[in-house]
Amino acid sequence: MEPIRSLDQMVDHLRESGRKKKIAVAYAQDPNTIGAIAKAIEEGFVEAVMIGDEEEIRKKAEEEHINPDIFTIVHMPNDVAATTEAVRMARMDEVDVVMKGLVGTDKFLKAVLNKEHGLLPPKAVMSYVCALDLPKYNKLLFVSDTAVLPYPDLNQKIAMVKYAVKMAQKFGIEKPKVALISATEKPNPVFQGSVDDAIICKMADRGQIKDCIVDGPLDVFLACDPASVEIKGVATPINGEADCLIFPSLEACNSFYKGLMLFAGGELGGLIQGTTKPVVVMSRSESEKSKFYCIALSVLMAD
Amino acid sequence: MITRLDQIIDVLKNSEKKRLVAAYANDSHTIGAVNDAVMRGIIDATLVGDKDIIAKTCTEHNFDISKFTIVHEPNELKAAQKAVELINNGEGDMIMKGLVSTDKYMKAILNKEKGLMPPKAVLSHVTVMENPNYHKLLVMSDVAVIPQPDLSQKIALTNYVINVARALGIDKPKVALIAATEQVLPKMQACVDASIISKMADRGQIKNAYVDGPLAIDVAIDKESAEIKKMDSIVAGDADCMVFPNIEAGNVFYKTNTKLANAELGAMVVGAKCPAILSSRGDSVRTKLYSIALAALVASK
Repeated sequence: MEPIRSLDQMVDHLRESGRKKKIAVAYAQDPNTIGAIAKAIEEGFVEAVMIGDEEEIRKKAEEEHINPDIFTIVHMPNDVAATTEAVRMARMDEVDVVMKGLVGTDKFLKAVLNKEHGLLPPKAVMSYVCALDLPKYNKLLFVSDTAVLPYPDLNQKIAMVKYAVKMAQKFGIEKPKVALISATEKPNPVFQGSVDDAIICKMADRGQIKDCIVDGPLDVFLACDPASVEIKGVATPINGEADCLIFPSLEACNSFYKGLMLFAGGELGGLIQGTTKPVVVMSRSESEKSKFYCIALSVLMAD
Repeated sequence: MITRLDQIIDVLKNSEKKRLVAAYANDSHTIGAVNDAVMRGIIDATLVGDKDIIAKTCTEHNFDISKFTIVHEPNELKAAQKAVELINNGEGDMIMKGLVSTDKYMKAILNKEKGLMPPKAVLSHVTVMENPNYHKLLVMSDVAVIPQPDLSQKIALTNYVINVARALGIDKPKVALIAATEQVLPKMQACVDASIISKMADRGQIKNAYVDGPLAIDVAIDKESAEIKKMDSIVAGDADCMVFPNIEAGNVFYKTNTKLANAELGAMVVGAKCPAILSSRGDSVRTKLYSIALAALVASK
């Protein structure tokens, strides 16, 4: 497979492959969600089960000039019940993806994380990976964790590496280059993140982390800019061509991607990781395009 | 490149002699070891201690007292302090413990104002082992001084073995950071620290060496084991140096090798302004000689 280098190429790929996945939307009476789902249906790679207040869903769809009959609607006017039903459908393989609608994020995640009825296997690490499409980078950049783990410990960081690698591979990048990001390339015990990075690198050297090329700590320049690598003279197999960036904290990663969205014309698709099936949670402030890309990404990632 | 301990003696014979200062050299064991080195022409020596006892001991053992400079100081602690003072005055290149107790000897060395320690320096120990079953010397730390080195101490140990290996003529020594396995198991501090130090070396924070770890002993010094385990490491199977995760591991390793595998060794305390020899009565005549020779070699670099 030729690597997919942009989010539009991802959409093209889905269209051409004829792939089609079924998404259950939890508490779906939200115009933003309805709009993004309708577009994905129109593109032909999504079937949607909208769970929520049927009357509201129809009304909101019509207000957006969308024909509500393109959806399967399940009438459940309570937000928690609607979410529980969406998660149940995913557990029973009745749908391939679960997506958050108008329900609050805490209630939604509570259902996803429910030990008996949720979608997270025991001991699995839940995290978040974003695919960033940036005008000034010649390929996609997979970054983690923008949204879930505030201060990942070593074990969580290893999981983040694996998730980012798995996502990059779905985009046709056979052996992704993973940069473990810090403020400098020199390990310093003052920064726990840089210490963890050194450990992860050695684990990769020893074959304990497979299918990728890992280096860190590296700063963002050394990770993504070959000229900086040359100027600094740092020998790194990433060589300024990282596919994946793993950040030491949520604040760092969150600021990185939001800065790029705001000032650099970036778009993104992102997904919860660690669950048995893709889970889409989008922020209201994300662009229409990014919301659509999140849905497309879930279709690409679904088994 | 020196691959056997007796080669150090040959090297020293052809270079400018270094000066050893023995602290409280009131016993035949100390004077005998110093005499051996002096007679071989590899060092000059100053004996600090009770001049009458030194003279008597020399007569009894047929040591030529005229070969030594004698500094009279009959008090044990003061003799140690005097030896340190001579080093600080530039009148000696290495120090050796005599009959003075180890704690008094170390006290004189570690004294903040009048001792031999640079600020913030880590006092440690380096052993160089010659094992008939290995193709070259092995430089090891720390088998005797720091019980449980932390990360920053392990970094110091790494630099010490590199410096000693370079003094032995190994331009870019291969340093193995020893653990129980070459897999990185985060619950083992040895694995964690080794990973960090390896990466620091990758980044040039530790220079003049190839550093890899964690490595188990077999993988570090046995090519076949390294090949079986498919280690992609320049150090594996060919280590010049080993940094042990703790004193027990290092101590058991060197003692096992000397007692069961006919290994010979020379050793010294490092981290002070000059090499410090801590030979014990139980050491063989060869070990005593090699320790003095090693200290002289390192002092000359």
